[in-house]
Amino acid sequence: MARLELRDLHAEVSEGDEKILEGVDLEVESGEIHALMGPNGSGKSTTAKVIAGHPAYEVTGGEVLLHLEDDEFGDEIEIDEDQRTWNILDLEPNERAALGIFLGFQYPAEIEGVTMTNFLRTALNAKIEEREELFEEEGSEDDAEDDGFETSPMEGPADDGEVGVAEFQEILQEKMEQLDMDEAFARRYLNAGFSGGEKKQNEVLQAAILEPSIAVLDEIDSGLDIDRLQDVSNGINALRDEQGTGILQITHYQRILDYVEPDRVHVMLDGQIAKSGGPELAEELEDKGYDWVREEVYGTA
Amino acid sequence: MSTQVHANLTDEQVRQISGNLDEPEWLLETRLEALEALSELDMPDVIRTPGRDWTNLHELDFESLVDPLNAAENKDQVGPDEVDVLPWSEAVQEHEELLREHFGSVVDPQENYLTALSTALFSTGTVVYVPEGVEAEDVTIRTEQNSRSLFNYTLVVTEESSSVTILERQSTGSAEPRSANGRAAESGDAERADEQYYSGIVEVVAGENSNVQYGSLQNLSEEAYNFSLKRGSAGTYATIDWIEVNLGTQLTKSGVSTTLEGDSSETQIVGAFYGHEDQHFDLDAKVWHRAEHTTADLVTRGVTDDVARSVYEGVQDVGRDAWDTSSYQRENTLMLSDESEADASPKLIINNHDTEASHSATVGQIDREDLLYMTSRGISPRAARNMLVEGFFVPVLEEIAVDELREDLESLVATRLRQRA
Ligand SMILES: Nc1ncnc2c1ncn2[C@@H]1O[C@H](COP(=O)(O)OP(=O)(O)O)[C@@H](O)[C@H]1O
Ligand SMILES: [Mg+2]
Repeated sequence: MARLELRDLHAEVSEGDEKILEGVDLEVESGEIHALMGPNGSGKSTTAKVIAGHPAYEVTGGEVLLHLEDDEFGDEIEIDEDQRTWNILDLEPNERAALGIFLGFQYPAEIEGVTMTNFLRTALNAKIEEREELFEEEGSEDDAEDDGFETSPMEGPADDGEVGVAEFQEILQEKMEQLDMDEAFARRYLNAGFSGGEKKQNEVLQAAILEPSIAVLDEIDSGLDIDRLQDVSNGINALRDEQGTGILQITHYQRILDYVEPDRVHVMLDGQIAKSGGPELAEELEDKGYDWVREEVYGTA
Repeated sequence: MSTQVHANLTDEQVRQISGNLDEPEWLLETRLEALEALSELDMPDVIRTPGRDWTNLHELDFESLVDPLNAAENKDQVGPDEVDVLPWSEAVQEHEELLREHFGSVVDPQENYLTALSTALFSTGTVVYVPEGVEAEDVTIRTEQNSRSLFNYTLVVTEESSSVTILERQSTGSAEPRSANGRAAESGDAERADEQYYSGIVEVVAGENSNVQYGSLQNLSEEAYNFSLKRGSAGTYATIDWIEVNLGTQLTKSGVSTTLEGDSSETQIVGAFYGHEDQHFDLDAKVWHRAEHTTADLVTRGVTDDVARSVYEGVQDVGRDAWDTSSYQRENTLMLSDESEADASPKLIINNHDTEASHSATVGQIDREDLLYMTSRGISPRAARNMLVEGFFVPVLEEIAVDELREDLESLVATRLRQRA
């Protein structure tokens, strides 16, 4: 089990002093689905990017904690008592990933020249390796920084890593089938020339392969036609049901919540969680709009 | 403006070089004329941007760098039986008429100071002659420089409907470069003792409907200076494809160009470079459209790191009679450090409106969003950056049809990235 906890999180733009997050409190636990809703510009994507460690934002207050139970990473990784809680704001983005945080981007980067297969296998192996380092006994940190060189952009890493080429192909194929993705995707360059829907599907595929403890999915439903919305929703439900992933689903449409039913719904206004409730809150929002929340919470529209 | 007169170069030296190669009188004359012209010739044009001269060739100390009678190299010149791949001295014996017709026909020996110097002093070279209808792959020219200076000359002539793929490499031997009579040591110039000068001129004459693919991998020592000029003349329906890779030297001044002389002729110039530490690259790619229905495609990608500098100029020149021209150019430079510098200027000169053309150039750094995307999936920043750089070269790698060259470039880029902190 894992739990992500945002405590009174304040953040602003690094270059400049525009305040964006003004005290966000939020908790997401393994196996739960939370919807984070709110009007454009309310700070949803910023929340997601601060969790991932985006350098554009400076955290000016509060913390982001990740609580792990001793069996979170299976038998092979032993999590000592003093390694159960991490202030992830102190960690590099790749270390956060190694601890099981995943961010599905609202606008995924297009990366020319790096194939999906190469990228994902490299990421999977890097994550396994980094995790071992984070939980390694003190004093045995010798060969830390020599990763990532034996790679060729077209062929992928020459040295096998934990998950070899053949094993990885199997995993990839299986996950792609689950998401109803064409296998040609695997050979394409990462998101390069993908349609909006393909990119979103690809984000869910990556989550399925990296098996995160907590996945933050930012507007994963935008730009999807109904078929793909169903595939993507199945993928998200499978993450929760099969890996026990806790999901923070950022959206401003009710639509995806018909397929991925949230346990909790939170409404963000002006960089704060203004209101939280059960799934019925989403429906209420659909009827009454965000101004209703604003009025109810602040007494103004 | 005259450049610098070589006080220590003499007719006698030129006669000796020519004599050792058993050259005919007309060649000796050409060399002597080039030597004599030195005093009047200017350095080649370097690329300038407003307010800035990037490359200062006048600063080079040719007096100590050029050591004409002590050339030493390790060379391979191989190819399939159906083509002649001849060392210069053999070509002089076997193909004198061919040389008389084409030598200096594409690159004027007196085009500038450095071409003239090269013409006067070259002591090694290769002639590739491809007879009519012959198709040849795997012509390899490898030059390992083992002396302070080396002047190299290459001529490629393809007859009608023939085709050839040539891969040329230049490197520096690990042995101590020899110096003439210990001159460098005597002058007490210890710092300069390891510097070398490499000069290479390549002329390609592509006959009707023939096809030349010429790949060059310059990986000289990072103490070396390099002047290289490659130029082709494409006949009717002929194609000349250049692949120009620059990785070595402290200073490279390189030019690659094609004159599309024949109707329906084509050219592609693919370039790749990776400069680090204090390397300096001055690179140009040029095409002259001089006939009807001609096509050119110029694609260059390069990386600069540390305090390296690169300046690129690409010229597409569409002549008045070049009806139905297609001409495309793209250049992208990626700067890996804040201290490195890069400039790229694509130039399009159109004198015939019946032209479809495009040109673009970008200079940028690694995209922060790209990096976060990769690191947020678990990849270390260093590995992510390396993957991005390797990926950056892929559009150029995909254009390199010579497998061996593509694989070499890939692994040299990976090695250089691995050296990086
Ligand atoms: N990098 C940035 N630089 C400047 N302003 C930003 C930046 N990122 C976000 N903002 C501003 O912060 C506010 C919240 O943005 P965002 O988190 O993207 O909102 P949402 O995802 O809820 O639509 C907006 O007003 C936006 O313009
Ligand atoms: Mg957003």
